Amino acid sequence: MPNIICCFKWVVDEAYIKPSSSGKIDLEWAEYKLSDYDRNAIEEAVQLQEKYGGSVTAVTVASSDATKGIKDALSRGPEKAYFINDDQFENLEPSQTSAILAKVIGDQIDYDLIICGEGSSDMYSQQVGPRLAEKLGIPCIAFVNQLTIEDNRIIAERKTDDGLEVISAPLPALVTVLPDINSPRVPGLKDTLAASKKPVIEIDLEDLGSEYERLLIDEGLRAASMERNCSRFGAGPEDIKAFVEAVRKTGVIDRG
Amino acid sequence: MSGVWIYADKYEQGVELLTAGRGVADMLGMKLTALVSGDNNIAQDFIARGADEVLLLPPLTESQPVQDYVPLMADEARDADPDVFLIAASLKGKEMAARIAARLDTALCSECSAMNIDEKGKLQMERLMYGGAAIQTVSISSRPQMATIPPRSYEAAPVQSDRQGNIKTLESPEPSGMQVMERKGKAQASGDITAARIIVCAGRGIENQEDLAMVRELAEVLGGEVACTRPISEEKHWMTEESCIGLSAKEVKPALYLGIGVSGQIQHVVGIREAGIICAVNSDENAPIFESADYGITGDLYQIVPALIEEFKK
Ligand SMILES: Cc1cc2nc3c(=O)[nH]c(=O)nc-3n(C[C@H](O)[C@H](O)[C@H](O)COP(=O)(O)OP(=O)(O)OC[C@H]3O[C@@H](n4cnc5c(N)ncnc54)[C@H](O)[C@@H]3O)c2cc1C
Ligand SMILES: Nc1ncnc2c1ncn2[C@@H]1O[C@H](COP(=O)(O)O)[C@@H](O)[C@H]1O
Repeated sequence: MPNIICCFKWVVDEAYIKPSSSGKIDLEWAEYKLSDYDRNAIEEAVQLQEKYGGSVTAVTVASSDATKGIKDALSRGPEKAYFINDDQFENLEPSQTSAILAKVIGDQIDYDLIICGEGSSDMYSQQVGPRLAEKLGIPCIAFVNQLTIEDNRIIAERKTDDGLEVISAPLPALVTVLPDINSPRVPGLKDTLAASKKPVIEIDLEDLGSEYERLLIDEGLRAASMERNCSRFGAGPEDIKAFVEAVRKTGVIDRG
Repeated sequence: MSGVWIYADKYEQGVELLTAGRGVADMLGMKLTALVSGDNNIAQDFIARGADEVLLLPPLTESQPVQDYVPLMADEARDADPDVFLIAASLKGKEMAARIAARLDTALCSECSAMNIDEKGKLQMERLMYGGAAIQTVSISSRPQMATIPPRSYEAAPVQSDRQGNIKTLESPEPSGMQVMERKGKAQASGDITAARIIVCAGRGIENQEDLAMVRELAEVLGGEVACTRPISEEKHWMTEESCIGLSAKEVKPALYLGIGVSGQIQHVVGIREAGIICAVNSDENAPIFESADYGITGDLYQIVPALIEEFKK
């Protein structure tokens, strides 16, 4: 009966990011969302619980603005959440996030398996999972697309540059999951209502009792420009002809 | 002690990092050390291509994952205290770099896309943020300054004659308790999309696997390769990940890119920024791909692709 932790992040939805005329990033109108692959991490934890029993706890480090994210995560099945939040936890970098997670998980939560997403949608550093495993001194298997638990070991199939590796590691362990490991459920109204009744344990910086210094220093952020002047064509035969002619005129096609 | 260190779990990426590392080491006036797994011949080859010193990682047993080198590499780095440590951003390399950085209590710039050295001798590194919508510049206040470097960012370092260097063989790493039970190779992709001049890209607008035939035919008529978006390779498994373009896949620089049923979300589009001409077919006139395209056709791909095949054949 494994106790499973899933780590999730509440992030700016990149679809709302529009460069302003100055080339700066304008976040004023941005909406937030559960980081895409953390939906897979939560889903995997819940599916393993359905199979093996045990418990699922969702954990996040964020500023207090992420309350909506807690509800979103809980509506996907975990039974409780740790909301490690402080106004100073805005834009943490991976070494800070993983150190804070390790402190809380190591001191306060019973676990056999920790599941993280492969990478977060905003930073996509792919660091927090492996760093957390090192801080806790447990095995780490990254880029996993299939998971089973057998005799107190985790058996994971992970992607490598050459193909796949099937790895076995003793529990407790940490895995980071790829999006093809499962199809995350879409929470219904009932799930959302149930989520608001689930326990949320809040922890702030003072409770942690240490400082977490920023080591990755922000030196600037600029919009990546992608200026193209789009000519639009319809679907009619004349349009298709005109499109093909326009493409041919650019000289990029050397045959046909 | 000072120095620049490099490590790649693959030979081809190792010799690319020699170019990157040699550049940094020369600018900082430092020694270049390569961590290499293999034998003396490989170590000599790394020295001939630019390393001043090789730390030779002894072979692992069949069932040991390459990640078992992590504690050893971190211990060596703690002792030698290099200024810079660059690791190839392969899947294994990214995981190992994060774990080594955690052990050394230092920061890591993931998938660094550009690197400069400022007047104080510190690295100023660029990386993508928000799925590729933004570029972030970072520096690192701790030691070593670590970064992972995407494959193919640098040319392979050439062999030079008369280069000398030290080789130090490290102790075999302790087994970690993690065991590789099986390794499976992957299906060979048909063509190399990173070298293609023309790319036709299949997106989730394509409903059935059989319909890819139509996209292939269009690519053939144009003399190009077929590529895909992540849902096609990772969710549907209709094509291999070798064919996938984007943030978590490949960056391509074709003269012509034609997206078929591709929505054009930032994580995909970031992989085609360097394309000469970008074209798109999408039934949704508000699809974001049209903002990133030079020529766009609004309409049903099932009608348009056959029409394009006919018209391009002429
Ligand atoms: C951290 C992270 C990394 C990622 N990395 C990558 C990456 O490397 N590469 C990548 O591709 N994606 C990546 N993604 C996923 C990315 O965000 C998008 O989900 C993905 O690119 C969408 O693929 P798509 O355009 O094929 O599918 P969809 O977004 O589903 O778009 C399908 C499009 O087809 C159109 N369509 C439907 N039917 C028709 C028809 N009959 N005729 C014409 N058009 C039709 C629709 O209008 C729609 O625009 C990543 C996501 C995250 C969070
Ligand atoms: N602030 C956070 N709180 C909890 N988990 C996080 C946080 N940031 C990252 N993670 C986890 O670490 C994974 C990788 O994040 P990153 O290293 O930012 O790419 C995510 O998919 C999450 O599972």
